[in-house]
Amino acid sequence: MSEPRTSLNKTKPVSVKKVILRVLLYLVVLDICVITLYPYFVMLTSALKSRAEIFSIDGTILPITAVWQNLIDVWTLAPLGRYMLNSVLIAGGSTIIAMICGIPAAYALARMKFKGQTAFLGFVIISQMFAPVVLLVGIYKVMSILHLTNSIVGLVFINAAFNQAFTIWLLRGTFMSISPEMEQAATIDGCNRIQAMFKVLLPVAAPGIVTTLIFIFINAWNEYTVALTLISTESSKPITVGINIFNGYNMIEWQYLFAASLFAVIPVVILFMCIEKNLVSGLASGGVKG
Amino acid sequence: MIRRENPVKKETKTQKGNEAARKKMLRKAEPYFWIAPSVILMAIFILVPIVFVFRMAFSDVSKTGRIKGFAGLGNFLTVVRNSAFPIVLKNTLVWTVAVVVISTVLGFILALILNNKFHGRKIARAIVVFPWATTLVIQASVWSFIINTDYGALNTLLLRLGIIKNAVNWTPTAGAYFAWEIACGIFVTIPFVCFTVLSGLQSIDSTYYEAATVDGAGYWAKLFKITIPLVRPSLTVSTVLNIIYVFNSFPIIWTITKGDPANRTDTLVTYLYKLAFYNSEQGQAAAVSVIGFVILLVCASAYMIYTLKKGDETA
Repeated sequence: MSEPRTSLNKTKPVSVKKVILRVLLYLVVLDICVITLYPYFVMLTSALKSRAEIFSIDGTILPITAVWQNLIDVWTLAPLGRYMLNSVLIAGGSTIIAMICGIPAAYALARMKFKGQTAFLGFVIISQMFAPVVLLVGIYKVMSILHLTNSIVGLVFINAAFNQAFTIWLLRGTFMSISPEMEQAATIDGCNRIQAMFKVLLPVAAPGIVTTLIFIFINAWNEYTVALTLISTESSKPITVGINIFNGYNMIEWQYLFAASLFAVIPVVILFMCIEKNLVSGLASGGVKG
Repeated sequence: MIRRENPVKKETKTQKGNEAARKKMLRKAEPYFWIAPSVILMAIFILVPIVFVFRMAFSDVSKTGRIKGFAGLGNFLTVVRNSAFPIVLKNTLVWTVAVVVISTVLGFILALILNNKFHGRKIARAIVVFPWATTLVIQASVWSFIINTDYGALNTLLLRLGIIKNAVNWTPTAGAYFAWEIACGIFVTIPFVCFTVLSGLQSIDSTYYEAATVDGAGYWAKLFKITIPLVRPSLTVSTVLNIIYVFNSFPIIWTITKGDPANRTDTLVTYLYKLAFYNSEQGQAAAVSVIGFVILLVCASAYMIYTLKKGDETA
């Protein structure tokens, strides 16, 4: 690349080496993709097999005949629609509450100076250390005092609270990357802080806000441990806990478990792919800048 | 700001002073209104549970969860003296270190690969993100299906490809199960490391590499002298967060083995879950939680000092 005009003998070995490296790169990337996708391949193919085929000693890689009926049957064999609705309510509710609480807090941290700022930020960071699972006995007690055990509302608040750190983290980074001058101009024009935030800052910060929103939604959608502990009524379970209905003590209905899993996984994977690029830069700026 | 309104009205001095003082107080109090919702939310659902856990750890707790009285270090002694505890502690250590170290190394390498320009890079990045987006309980279910001896997908695949002649028992011992759980943990942790590092890599100014090339530096020299030092902040963040996440990770082990047989695959979180909700020993479970905090606190405080210091530098 650097000396293309020297003799042929000199450039040839370089380009051969380059071609080999190039081919190697593609092979490695292909391998990585195949390995990463393998569990999803297993999930999909098994979801389309009959029960007999799954448990047969003479196993198959692809289903002999695809039983698409499995994908329809799961909706009647289990209250899958109800689980999905619960998951949407829990994830949606958590996202809304996390944003309502998180946006003003991130705004204050990005735009104001106040006593206890470091302490607050410190608590936000430290709170990440306490995963809900470690606090479960305490959470359970709080929930029984508030009469929120076995309730979707309880899960909404817990998910919102445990996602505050990320919300504030990502949004603070977003807000700090936007110059405060426009808001100041708006304030001079007679807006108060709240109006300035809504009219000026939030529209500019929209990409960061959407990223945060989707990220919290996914986290809450994927949450398993707290829901497993707090929810015992079948009709209140989110999908992550609900699909265990196919995972009985005596036998596992793998084909149905995976068929239901597909419905739980696909929307989230698509959402995640949408925000992947923004999320990473957000994590980096929020994270590295503290 | 206060002076502006001075010449217009000539009211009593005290009134004006009060007004100004009130305004000043309001200004000073304003930030606290902004953070109040967040503080209240976290106080009720994080701080209060923390307080409860600590109280229960030092209390005599009834089977129904009622606090009967002060127990001192009783719960801790019962927990520590249990013969299962050293195994659980060792498992937690092995689990956390193995998953974090291996996924950090592999995630870093993967990020270096994906940072190259090649056709289909976008697709490859989208695929790599899959395990990050999938809920752990489903990911773990698939893995337990894959490694099943009788009808698992891995045996089927290898038999059909002619690589093995007879079905292999992939999980002959508890240790083997635990190794698979670690593998699953690594698999789902790699994307996070990879993408954090990737964001660090993309912020490196390419002129560094150009200058190094002019100076005759090779690939490895560039890697160790430029790349690694410059992505170190990203690596630190991802490592510390991963230590916390992996240490507290519950669904993978719970789905694949539930910590069985005989606590051989338990980590602190699965162990405390069983204590609390299977054995109704909430006091002991709380004690295990506190032990977990203490271990993590060391990591978290190191992390906090690091990030706050960084924040001061950029502020």
